[in-house]
Amino acid sequence: MLRVRDLVSSYGKLDVLRGISLDAAEGRITCLLGPNGAGKTTTLFTIAGILSARSGSVLLNGEDLTRLPAPKVVSRGIALVPENRLVFPRMNVEENLRAGAYARRASAAEIAADIADLYRRFPRLEARRDQFAGTLSGGEQQMLAIARGLMARPRILLMDEPSVGLAPLIVDEIFRIIQELNAEGVTILLVEQNARMALTVAHKFYLIEGGEITFSGSPGELEEDEVIRRAYLGAQKE
Amino acid sequence: MGDFWFEFVEITQTIGDGLFFGATYSLIGIGFTLIFGAMHKLNMTYAAASLAGAYVGLAAFTFVNAPALVVFLISALASGLIGLVVYVACFRFIPVNNHLAALMASIGALFFIDEIVVHTTDGSPLTFPAMFEYVMLEVGPWGLRGDLLFVLAVSVASTVGLLYVLYRSRLGLATRAVSQQDVAARLCGIDVHRTNATTFVLAGLLGGVAGAMTAAAVGVLSPLVTVPLTVKGLIVTVIGGLGSIPGAIVAGLLVGGLENVFLYFRGVNERDMYVLLLLFVFLVFRPHGIFGSAIDRD
Repeated sequence: MLRVRDLVSSYGKLDVLRGISLDAAEGRITCLLGPNGAGKTTTLFTIAGILSARSGSVLLNGEDLTRLPAPKVVSRGIALVPENRLVFPRMNVEENLRAGAYARRASAAEIAADIADLYRRFPRLEARRDQFAGTLSGGEQQMLAIARGLMARPRILLMDEPSVGLAPLIVDEIFRIIQELNAEGVTILLVEQNARMALTVAHKFYLIEGGEITFSGSPGELEEDEVIRRAYLGAQKE
Repeated sequence: MGDFWFEFVEITQTIGDGLFFGATYSLIGIGFTLIFGAMHKLNMTYAAASLAGAYVGLAAFTFVNAPALVVFLISALASGLIGLVVYVACFRFIPVNNHLAALMASIGALFFIDEIVVHTTDGSPLTFPAMFEYVMLEVGPWGLRGDLLFVLAVSVASTVGLLYVLYRSRLGLATRAVSQQDVAARLCGIDVHRTNATTFVLAGLLGGVAGAMTAAAVGVLSPLVTVPLTVKGLIVTVIGGLGSIPGAIVAGLLVGGLENVFLYFRGVNERDMYVLLLLFVFLVFRPHGIFGSAIDRD
């Protein structure tokens, strides 16, 4: 479904991604793991069109999205739930959801129906529908950010560190939601620092270190402990 | 006792007139604050563009004797168009984080527009058609001037229109989204540049109305009004709290009212001095303005 090849991306003169290649298969949860500063967020930002790739390609079902700016990428079917949620703080929950559907040329009735669906999935959001998003708890904001991403009706949902800064109980809930969404057919590319947690839901994973993919595989294989160690600490050079 | 009563009526009348006229300051303040809210940048050209819009409206009046409503409409449209040009010239291609460059560019555009006006009018003031200047409603001992009532009515109508667009339309949703979280806005499919351009046009439409009203209330249009109106607009924006629309409304009325109080007690020569002192009082004791500020909440 999503096919990334030799992606190079940079901030100014500094290359942050040095040729990333990965695939996210339809209906699966693909995880991108790695330590801080390895290039995880940059990878997602480049796929989503917030940063522009220096070279390489991003293909979604064969369509080349490499040079498209972010608003166009969303309308082609890639939604990113950004790190730290980035909800619109002084808009209420419902307006945040409406903003999520901005790229769609959908009728008011369709959007209302989608919002109602999401309220069934996230009852806590419905309870706070008229509240400013900035007043929600971290967990609620994360749910809102996920729901806002789903409002775009994406073909693939990219999630950047959905567990960051949340209490363990809430992290469990977020991962339960991720699995539920996937069970309903949502394709997910998940970036996580919490590798142990991510490997419990992943079908396939990639390890990124220093802007390069250094390892890929499926959970349950022998190297899992080594991957977890390196995802937390980075590669140890003797 | 009679003297005291007389003086009381005089002062309240003065304050009332000031509040009514302050509605134009509110509009200018809203324009500044709208753009600041969207881009976190000051558009110094704004008041000059508003008056330039009024000049275009005046041209329609002078050359084809357009009726009042059309004059206002043309002023608003012209100012909106100038707003778009200013956005493209001074903001669109300047790097997001370079606030100084955008500020200097917009100051440059302010003087550029001013020079065009001076050049085409030979620098002399032009008579602007007054509205309802002979109408006077009496409320007890007080009089409500027709021209000021008109100013207030148009200001309220424009503000309500703006708030409707901001809070009830798809365009307004995009504008607010960009001003609150521009990365997330892009991820939602919102084109930031187009949204910012629209914000400039919206603010421009409002400014054109304010410019035409200022001219109609004073009875003349003169290039000499540009800088004072810019300064008043900035004062209102700061006192109201940068980025706050309710703040700009209240601060505009406050400045208008106090301006007349200063005028009443100290005369026209000292009036603006006290208005500026008011700015410093706010900057020192309440730098976030009346309604707090959008910058610190993000």
